[in-house]
Amino acid sequence: MIKLFERRTRITVQRIKKKKSPFIYKSYSKKPKHTWLKKRKAAERRFRNAGLISILIAFLFLVSLVCNIVSSGYSAFTGTQIKLPITFQTELVEKGAYRKIVQNALLDLFQDVETRKEKRSLFMLISRNAPYELKSLIKQKPDLIGTKIDLWLPAASATSIFYKQRLLEESKRIGKINGDQAKWVTTLAQSQRTRLKFNMPFFKNGDSREAEQAGILASTIGSFFTILVCVLLAFPLGVATAIYLEEFAPRNWVTSIIEININNLAAVPSIIFGLLGLSIYLNFFGMPRSSSLVGGLVLALLILPVIVISTRNALHSVPQSIRDAAAALGATPTQVVFHHTLIYALPGVMTGVILGIARAFGETAPLLMIGMVAFIADAPQTITDPATTLPIQVFLWTNNPELGFVEKTAAAIMVLLGFMILINLCAVYVRKRFEIKW
Amino acid sequence: MAKYEKLIRATLLSCTMLSVMITVMVVASVFSETMRFFSNVSVFNFFFGTEWSPQTAIRPDQAGGSGTFGAVPVFLGTFLVTLIAMAVAAPLGLFSAIYLSVYASPRFRLWAKPVLEILAGVPSVVYGYFAVITMAPMLREFGETIGLSIASESALTAGTVMGIMITPYVMSISEDVISAVPKSLSMGSLAIGATESETVKKVILPAALPGIVSALLLGVSRGVGETMVVVMAAGMAANLTINPLESVTTATVQIMTLLVGDHEFDSDKTRAAFALGFSLFIMTLILNIVALIIVKKYRERYD
Repeated sequence: MIKLFERRTRITVQRIKKKKSPFIYKSYSKKPKHTWLKKRKAAERRFRNAGLISILIAFLFLVSLVCNIVSSGYSAFTGTQIKLPITFQTELVEKGAYRKIVQNALLDLFQDVETRKEKRSLFMLISRNAPYELKSLIKQKPDLIGTKIDLWLPAASATSIFYKQRLLEESKRIGKINGDQAKWVTTLAQSQRTRLKFNMPFFKNGDSREAEQAGILASTIGSFFTILVCVLLAFPLGVATAIYLEEFAPRNWVTSIIEININNLAAVPSIIFGLLGLSIYLNFFGMPRSSSLVGGLVLALLILPVIVISTRNALHSVPQSIRDAAAALGATPTQVVFHHTLIYALPGVMTGVILGIARAFGETAPLLMIGMVAFIADAPQTITDPATTLPIQVFLWTNNPELGFVEKTAAAIMVLLGFMILINLCAVYVRKRFEIKW
Repeated sequence: MAKYEKLIRATLLSCTMLSVMITVMVVASVFSETMRFFSNVSVFNFFFGTEWSPQTAIRPDQAGGSGTFGAVPVFLGTFLVTLIAMAVAAPLGLFSAIYLSVYASPRFRLWAKPVLEILAGVPSVVYGYFAVITMAPMLREFGETIGLSIASESALTAGTVMGIMITPYVMSISEDVISAVPKSLSMGSLAIGATESETVKKVILPAALPGIVSALLLGVSRGVGETMVVVMAAGMAANLTINPLESVTTATVQIMTLLVGDHEFDSDKTRAAFALGFSLFIMTLILNIVALIIVKKYRERYD
């Protein structure tokens, strides 16, 4: 040690003799000091900016996703209606030829239309559903027969898209409508015979082949039933499992295997649960295909680990002193858990359950596999009826090449995301309002 | 009272057993179908065959019936799409995590983190929609301007969108890992005059490396198992290619196309889907277990 020290001193002394400083930075002294620092600072800036840019890219993507969906979807919340002078001629009503009544009304307005081809494109302006609306109107008010009144009828989806976009420049329009039709719509608009109205069918109809009549009610109810089954099954099972594992299970290898098991279940791709649903529920137990019952059962498996893990965490964060105090007052082990620990852990449990619901709500793949892709026009009445869910409706409409469905898809996504935000806000509220900090 | 006590405990125990049963059931049901598939189609053909056209094989004894289940193109497609996804998600997620945990002011972090986590909460079908409606035409136009022809169902489209989907996932795990590195290490580095980026590169990242590797592995396992984005944005036909501009198919897409809307259940065609599913299950299981082991093994180093 002393030798080393002596050597050091000697070197330093030599350096001083050579008029060289012992400090290391002098070895860089051939370069001016500031370039070296500049380089390091530039590297620092580059690194920092890379981080900032990647966050900005992620933000940008989120913003463009939202803008994209809102800008192509908001128009689906309004539907175009056209006012037609309808004459309920007695013989046509008796024959049930409501289509003819609508067509006559259109020909009334545009009397210069003569060729069959022109007539056909004129009739395409009005929704194919319009005759049915007239029919139900007559059923309600039979005294309209033989009279002539102005009625607002839904426009066809191509007409509607053109009408909503007619103020845009030619190049930005996406509607498929021919020149004559464009002229007619403009004429109708000028004579105050068109209006935009809140698109009620979108919220009160099921799926439909006609874009202007397609709605999300059936799929939303399907989603609701599916989630109901899923929660009714996964909630008690998950919470019970978590309580047992956290409060009662002896710490041995069996328990640790169970834990690993459940943790791995959380990471299994969701499509595998679809395979399970297909082979066990449908094939082995013979449950009804495409029903929300099977959908709920499959999703229950999916969110079970989420609930177990969050419940265990919540139970774990309750201090031991609570348990000890309760036990000291003579509570049995189950009383300790159910009267004290679980009550304090409840906010955490609920947050976990709500987040599980959010996950189940957006899930698509396993439900497709058990056949919930069916075309569902009427809302399911019970959990064994064929049903579909909101994300699947989005999937189906995305694959639909018809133009009118583009805005419907985006609108359905807006509703879906709205539900998601609502569910997540619930979770935040529960956590903020009821959480106990120890 | 004691009776009550026992009853409740028994109920809890049976619930636990049921939960475990479910895991066993998942494995058993998929496994048994897979075994039945492999009794008709040889394992070697499945894992090393390069031609995948399950639709043509109606019966196993038919000519060419056994040679069409070569899953190499399918796995290669899965691999390619996941690779592209990770090429997007790894740098984005990692740099965001570093920025958030090292540079960002507390106020910025308070806002940025939840906003970025919204991306993780968006249902995958929405990403699929975005890939089909926006990303695919955009990439195709971009390709045209630089003289490349990009298929509308290219691996690039699906991979990019999937990457953005995985980004918040990678980000939040890496951020946890980075902030778990003891403050004393980075403080020491800063105290001897290193800049923040030098501290991150030389001290924090090496210390957090195991955790970051496992974050990436978990990201890969998510990408491999992701379904909706690829079902909507990637192709159906199995091409043996590693060109990201061409259309490829993935294991999840094949499972979907083989099983959706198909009512007959007892054929090699549907069992092939189970074989794919089982391979997928094993793959993700291994990735997850390796990730967990890495995290567990190296976490204790600083405790």
